[in-house]
Amino acid sequence: MKVKTRLPHLLMGVGILYFLVPLLWVVIAATKSQPDLLDSPALWFAEFNLFENIGQLFREDGGVYGKWLLNTALYSGLSALGATALAAAAGYGLARFQFLGKRLFETALLGMIMVPATALVLPTYLILAEVELVDTMWAVILPSLLSPFGAYLVRVYVDESVPVELIDAARIDRAGELRIFWQIVVPMMRPAIVTVFLFTLVATWNNYFLPLVMLSDAELYPLTVGLTTWFNTAQQEAGTRMLFNLVVTGSLLAIVPLVVAFVLLQRFWRSGASAGALK
Amino acid sequence: MPGTTWLAKLRAGLAACGLLAVAACGGATSDDGGPVKVSVWAWYPEFKGVVEAFNASHKDIQVEWTNVGTGPDQYAKLKTAFTAGKGAPDVAMVEFQQIPTFIILDALVDMGPHGANEDKDLYAEWAWSQATDGEKVYAIPVDGGPMALMYRKDLFDQHAIPVPTTWAEYADAAAKIKAADPEGHIASFGSDGGWINGLMWQSGCRPYGYSQATAKDQVKINLTAPECKRVFDLYGDLVEKGLMAKDPFFTADATAALDSGKYWTWAAAGWTPGYVAGSLKNTAGKWAVAPMPQWTAGADEQGDWGGSTFTVTKQAKNPAAATTVARELFGKSKAAWDIGLNKAFLYPLVKDVAADPAFTGKAYEFFNGQKVNEIFVPVSEKLGEFQYTPFQDFVFGELNDRSAEAMSGSRSWDSVLEETQKNVVAYAEQQGFKVSK
Amino acid sequence: MTRSAPITAPAPADSPPGRPAESRSRRRSRRVTAHPVAGALFVLPFFLVVVAFLIVPLGYAFWLSLSSKSLATGVKFSGLDNYVRAFTDPLLLDGLLRVVLFGLVQIPIMLGIALAGALVLDAVTTKFALAFRLIAFMPYAVPAVVGALMWGFLYSRTFGPFADLPTLVGGEPIDFFSVSLLLLSLGNIVTWAWTGYNMIILYSALQGVPREMYEAAVIDGATPVQIALRVKVPAIKQAISLAAIFTVIGTMQFFTEPAIMARFAPQISAGYTPNLYAYNQAFAYSDFHYSAAVSFALGFLVFVVAYLFVFVNRRRGARA
Repeated sequence: MKVKTRLPHLLMGVGILYFLVPLLWVVIAATKSQPDLLDSPALWFAEFNLFENIGQLFREDGGVYGKWLLNTALYSGLSALGATALAAAAGYGLARFQFLGKRLFETALLGMIMVPATALVLPTYLILAEVELVDTMWAVILPSLLSPFGAYLVRVYVDESVPVELIDAARIDRAGELRIFWQIVVPMMRPAIVTVFLFTLVATWNNYFLPLVMLSDAELYPLTVGLTTWFNTAQQEAGTRMLFNLVVTGSLLAIVPLVVAFVLLQRFWRSGASAGALK
Repeated sequence: MPGTTWLAKLRAGLAACGLLAVAACGGATSDDGGPVKVSVWAWYPEFKGVVEAFNASHKDIQVEWTNVGTGPDQYAKLKTAFTAGKGAPDVAMVEFQQIPTFIILDALVDMGPHGANEDKDLYAEWAWSQATDGEKVYAIPVDGGPMALMYRKDLFDQHAIPVPTTWAEYADAAAKIKAADPEGHIASFGSDGGWINGLMWQSGCRPYGYSQATAKDQVKINLTAPECKRVFDLYGDLVEKGLMAKDPFFTADATAALDSGKYWTWAAAGWTPGYVAGSLKNTAGKWAVAPMPQWTAGADEQGDWGGSTFTVTKQAKNPAAATTVARELFGKSKAAWDIGLNKAFLYPLVKDVAADPAFTGKAYEFFNGQKVNEIFVPVSEKLGEFQYTPFQDFVFGELNDRSAEAMSGSRSWDSVLEETQKNVVAYAEQQGFKVSK
Repeated sequence: MTRSAPITAPAPADSPPGRPAESRSRRRSRRVTAHPVAGALFVLPFFLVVVAFLIVPLGYAFWLSLSSKSLATGVKFSGLDNYVRAFTDPLLLDGLLRVVLFGLVQIPIMLGIALAGALVLDAVTTKFALAFRLIAFMPYAVPAVVGALMWGFLYSRTFGPFADLPTLVGGEPIDFFSVSLLLLSLGNIVTWAWTGYNMIILYSALQGVPREMYEAAVIDGATPVQIALRVKVPAIKQAISLAAIFTVIGTMQFFTEPAIMARFAPQISAGYTPNLYAYNQAFAYSDFHYSAAVSFALGFLVFVVAYLFVFVNRRRGARA
């Protein structure tokens, strides 16, 4: 048996190197000062400057990086909560009720998953500008509430894992529809809910195009937009502002929480996938 | 407009500042009794100090400054804001080549009626003519980029290569440099639209003509004139012979290459001393500046690369106050120019500031004590009229993309300007312009 | 594979024509309850968001796309002119072709690696395999913007370790940003970011394949590779094709990586990808109308491609 798994292990070793080296580079680069970043060997340490970098990172431009971090957490947290709630209710409604236009809506749901998100950003901007929501946090959060995929996933999950008999029994006991949903259905579909929450959280955390278009106040930027701005400044004003080390350190701090969360929560991704949606 | 009522209601409900406490609320309005607040978008380095100097010296107007991004990033936001009809600042930093674009988008206020014409003699003539359209003042110049040749004096001396005074000599020097150092190049062709434009300007090429005041829908495009073509002939030849590198400008790699002896020259601009002094550490003290090589021996043709202005937008709540801000942020302000020259390294378009011995007589350590502004200042004075199209982004994009194709070998250098001309004319006609050559 | 039914069978047309209507409705009544008001209320909040942030913006974009704005003459209604322009615009078509080429190469490579990885993970259960699974998934946690910046640094001669590798053996340094390598460089970024994610999806699907399905093959002495190719891969065909659809959709919308990479490689032209072109039309050239038409045409194309994909798959699935 050992001999037979040697080749797979070798391939997995190559894979580990491929996926890990770029991340290792960020870790190493974040410990370097700007001159070392440009001059020292890329995959080995130079003078250890990580804490100075982090200090400078949170001081630069009046500490705006800290705000970006908070904004990102706030936007993705609120968006994910809202999108999950909407998707859970809608998925349940579609799976266990009959009403006018349901079939049409279900068919449309599949189409919605395929609409390119970037095609929506521009018209959404013009509409939100009409109601004066542009350049506010809501311009990022409200459009992120839309998760057809989430609704779809919940619908499939409920179909399989929430027995109709249970709901019927509760109805015979005269339980209200909301109470049935909240006390019986929600606990049963918890894995699907967590999965939808994680998917929408990551989608907002990673979003670049939407906040780029919607926001112009740097205090409102999420990390993705803020770091890109710094990077551009670093390129354009190489002579007057040293920012490459901050872009690298900022990137590292931006991905650490997500990578940790991902590794810890990986089973939810898999449970979401095996919930049937992707199978 | 139909639908306005429900929108208005929605707006009233949503836009209450209390509801949106997290968001930037208020903006550039004058509070009753207090000073007028004017919002400014700009990306000058070290601009905070300039704003503070303005606010300290003005009791009735206070500037609120935001940096929404560099160049294209800020323009993208401005254009979105103009399309949406709201969201633009009162005063925006705009580069020269973008002024006609924002004029035709009906985004800029004519500052003439607010007294801006008084400033005419304050600024370099070429700059004032680009910022204005007849008596209409659309922009107040700040900084420019008169071009000159930066070169590695140590290497030129060491290999006894004469500093080129004509472009023919420049081509000779390129060959000698390759012979002296196989890794060396005379320079890099950066495929940067603004830089190429500067080289063409210096060659006496005047490819564009537009005046909204005269004829809104007429534009002149002539990129295939001999003065324009000879630039591409020369540079294309150097690239094809491997004498000129192909790296883009302003990337960390380009900076490192400049600093490692890979490039021996750079046809640079008045703002370059500041740009390079901060980033080229290894080769500091080894560079010098010479006037641009000429196309005809003994001629004195000059060009400009870069430069910017302040404009007042149509969304300004108080155009008069905004005009004051645009005129006086830099203008005659000693405090502002002190920061502008010594920390932000701008090339001043205010004539008195540029002529001041404190500027012309400044010795640069980076250039081994050379007083380089003695070269840049006469260039700026010599610059003549040069106009841009009202869709210069498209033109620069074309120049950039077609040159990149030539560098990758998928297009002959000969055809770069012809193809650009063709595409630009098609675009202009598609946009409703009558095009003349 | 009854579980896959909801994806491929949203319409009732699946039931054979001769089947009595009565039995169908009885079957359905066991699954759903006729509480029209309550059901609609559960869906309503979601529906409102769909209307506000999907239907209305789409409608608005379509309406915008029906008029043209020219710099010299202003806005006027132009019907489908923008679409005619879009489908004959050489810059847009170039970008489209580039993205299609990109997809034809990158998608099979990425999904192939992901599938191979998933099969290995399904067959090998060592600690090392667990580590591989966790590490391969990590890049998915890196925002596309940060990933593109990171790779930009890694490709760069100044910051990165790779460009100068050939010089160790006397070769020329690699210019990852050169026109000839750019598409490969971008493909690598996407592959790095998404392979692990797809691997996990496929791995989960494999875990759901009942062991009984290949126990017989094991007894017959089939090798693990034979089992993988003849039993496991066909068993998760549905998951593979879904992963492919989502990847195709993502590729057609290719934007963030080239937009960021353009900061390192200015030779990325304004129309490098269709989505980038739509962005530049709107935000650089101020032509929101044409931009909307480009976006709309692109969205339509994505929709058609994805639906065709589902359709073909269903037909094939039905025949099998």
